[in-house]
Amino acid sequence: MSLSPHTTPSGFLLPSIHAAPPFFTQQPNPATQAIVTEQWSRLILSYARHRQLFTVRVEDAEVTGGEWDEILRNDRINRRLRSSHLAYILEQMAAKNQLVYDPPKQSRSALLYWRTPEEWAEVLHEWASTTGQLNTILTFYEIIEPPVPSPLSGIPMQILRKAIHILTKTNRAQIIAVADGEGVRFLPGNAGK
Amino acid sequence: MGVLKRFTKAVDGTIPVPALLYEDEDLLASQEGVGIYDGTEKSPKHQNGTIYTTTHRLFYIDHSHARSRSFALDLSHVSRTDYYAGLFTSSPKIMLYLHANSTSRSSNISGAELETWECEVCSYKNPPGLSPAASKVCGLCGVPRTSVKNSSIHPTPIPTRLKQPSMSTHLSTSLPSSTANLHTHTSPSSSPSGDVATGQDGEIPCPACTFLNHPSLLTCEICGTTLPRPNGVSRHLAARSAPSSRPITPSADDDKDEDDVDDTSEASRLIRLSFRKGGDKAFYAVLRRSLLGKAWETKHLGGSRRSVTQHTNSGRGGINSLLRTVENTTASNQSNMENALQDLESLAVKAREMVRMAEELNERLTAVTASSSNNTMTGSAVIEPEEATFIRSSLSQLGLQMTNAPVTLDMIRDERRWHEELARELSGVLQGNGSSWKRPGDDGEQTSGGMMRKRGIIALDEVWGGWNRARGVALIPPSTFLLVLPHLPSYTSPPIHMRTFSSSGLSVLHTPPYTKAAFAARMVGLLTLAGPRTTVEVAQEEQLPIGLAQEMVIEVEDAGEICRDEGGSGVGIFAGRDGSGEVRWWVNIFKGYVWDGQEG
Repeated sequence: MSLSPHTTPSGFLLPSIHAAPPFFTQQPNPATQAIVTEQWSRLILSYARHRQLFTVRVEDAEVTGGEWDEILRNDRINRRLRSSHLAYILEQMAAKNQLVYDPPKQSRSALLYWRTPEEWAEVLHEWASTTGQLNTILTFYEIIEPPVPSPLSGIPMQILRKAIHILTKTNRAQIIAVADGEGVRFLPGNAGK
Repeated sequence: MGVLKRFTKAVDGTIPVPALLYEDEDLLASQEGVGIYDGTEKSPKHQNGTIYTTTHRLFYIDHSHARSRSFALDLSHVSRTDYYAGLFTSSPKIMLYLHANSTSRSSNISGAELETWECEVCSYKNPPGLSPAASKVCGLCGVPRTSVKNSSIHPTPIPTRLKQPSMSTHLSTSLPSSTANLHTHTSPSSSPSGDVATGQDGEIPCPACTFLNHPSLLTCEICGTTLPRPNGVSRHLAARSAPSSRPITPSADDDKDEDDVDDTSEASRLIRLSFRKGGDKAFYAVLRRSLLGKAWETKHLGGSRRSVTQHTNSGRGGINSLLRTVENTTASNQSNMENALQDLESLAVKAREMVRMAEELNERLTAVTASSSNNTMTGSAVIEPEEATFIRSSLSQLGLQMTNAPVTLDMIRDERRWHEELARELSGVLQGNGSSWKRPGDDGEQTSGGMMRKRGIIALDEVWGGWNRARGVALIPPSTFLLVLPHLPSYTSPPIHMRTFSSSGLSVLHTPPYTKAAFAARMVGLLTLAGPRTTVEVAQEEQLPIGLAQEMVIEVEDAGEICRDEGGSGVGIFAGRDGSGEVRWWVNIFKGYVWDGQEG
């Protein structure tokens, strides 16, 4: 077949499978559909990592102009992913813990774990150390939106909380109640100890 | 001279007389060879014709110029008759003396009986075709009709408003008229309240609410309006007139008075019928009876005229006649149905006899053929003697159930061998290797070369139909057919197998090229070569019916060899919802796909 990877305007390299129309159809054959789902989830996560997107919603498949358009549509072959198909994919990903529905108990929008919370914890701690903010009390707000863009910019509250929680288990962070919000103090230490 | 002109109405004699009659008029007698005398002279145009007498009229249909010289005469115009038995050259004659005052009335109501008129009381649309008498009264409610020309047609019977000046004059002259007057006679009251009709025994109808009050009352019992006073004359009239009805009198009475031309003498109003071919006596008797009967006057269902008082309740069609009509129609319906069903029952009895006879024949034939077929197994196993199969097939064609079916099974002891023989036969049908019997009515399609010469896969129903058609008689039921199929591969080459699709339950017979694997391989090859294809294109390529192709393709998809692309996922307004676009099939590109997108 004459399928080839394609680079999007934002610099993301789309796999060749994305240029195949059957990729956008939900396949009745379960084995085939399993492959399709797997490829889609990899694509979604990879794109989220590339663009630092945290949430994905089922509506993103319907409306244009969102952040996911480059992935969920392929205008060159005139195909798009259906919302029912996307919902199915999200469901499969949730079962594999690649995302979590947020707010919980619904299945329309989800938080993507293109980094697991453990990985987030590491990144968090590393950022705190390299920016010299160990042993200082930081509000969540300061972490989420630091003056200097960091790998943690825009991280959703849930993920941050989870990451901090993981760090507290290994004694590398402490949650402190601050006047307007919550605070955390990072302590030096190694996760691997 | 003008008698005929005045009293008769021209008719089209080419129409047969029964068609000219009113609905309540009956034809009584006829006599040919009759000539007409207008007054005392011969009427030149009416010298040779046939005369018909009915309950209401007398018809003369001219023999030579039926269309232009035929006429009808209302018997109501006839006041008396006379009979003259002929002497030597003079033929027997009947003389009809006519009333003086009948002319205008006939012209007035000539149109009345030829159209549908709607009764003002009950809105019943009276059909045309009734005699003049009948058409004056509503067929449903019995209320007489106000004449069409009457300008003062009001639904409410308030005679005070009506034609006061004419009342008294017309009433006085209506008194002497004896019989044929149908309309209600009104009292010659000169009171401002106008005429008042009376019911039986002198009851007074109220001018406002039409309630019939006791004659001695002064005000209406119901509504209290002052009642007009009847007098003795009207009472006398009441005994002779029809019973209570609306006090409005049709204007026909008016017209009648105005034209009251008192002719010179009775002798001038005379029509003579000359019987040149005899038959006069019988005809005269019938005519007299008809005149006595005066069927045109009243519309009793019984026919003959009785005293009015007896019929005051039934009237001219009222509730009773309605009830009687309903009863009669239901009774006739009932009897008709019973008759029809009786025929059906007798037919059923005959059919039972026939079934019994057919069964006996059948048993006898079975015994005969069973003994003979045991010797010759090959061909006659499935071919029965013509007569036997004819009887059996005719029975099944008639749809009669036989208790000792199946038939052919009795012939062959060994069921398995019979199935094998059938399988051999079927293989011949399918692959066309020259079967031994003749097929009735070759239609040329599948007879040469068998059914599966051209197609490698064929649906089971088609096979069954074709096979039975080839057999002609002694058809194979589906159950036997299914039992025969497993034996088929041993008699066919290439071997033909049956296969059932799981999704729809469709069963087919197919040759090896159409097994799952073979077809899948072919399809993948096609897609690789030609690119994505829709089901229709695949069907065309494989020369299969589209439904069958769809089944096969779905099977290949289930095997994982191909994947689908539904056009409905397209962007744009023409994209369908939920995958309603046309499905194109691709080779399964997902199998063994390696990610080549962005890493990380």
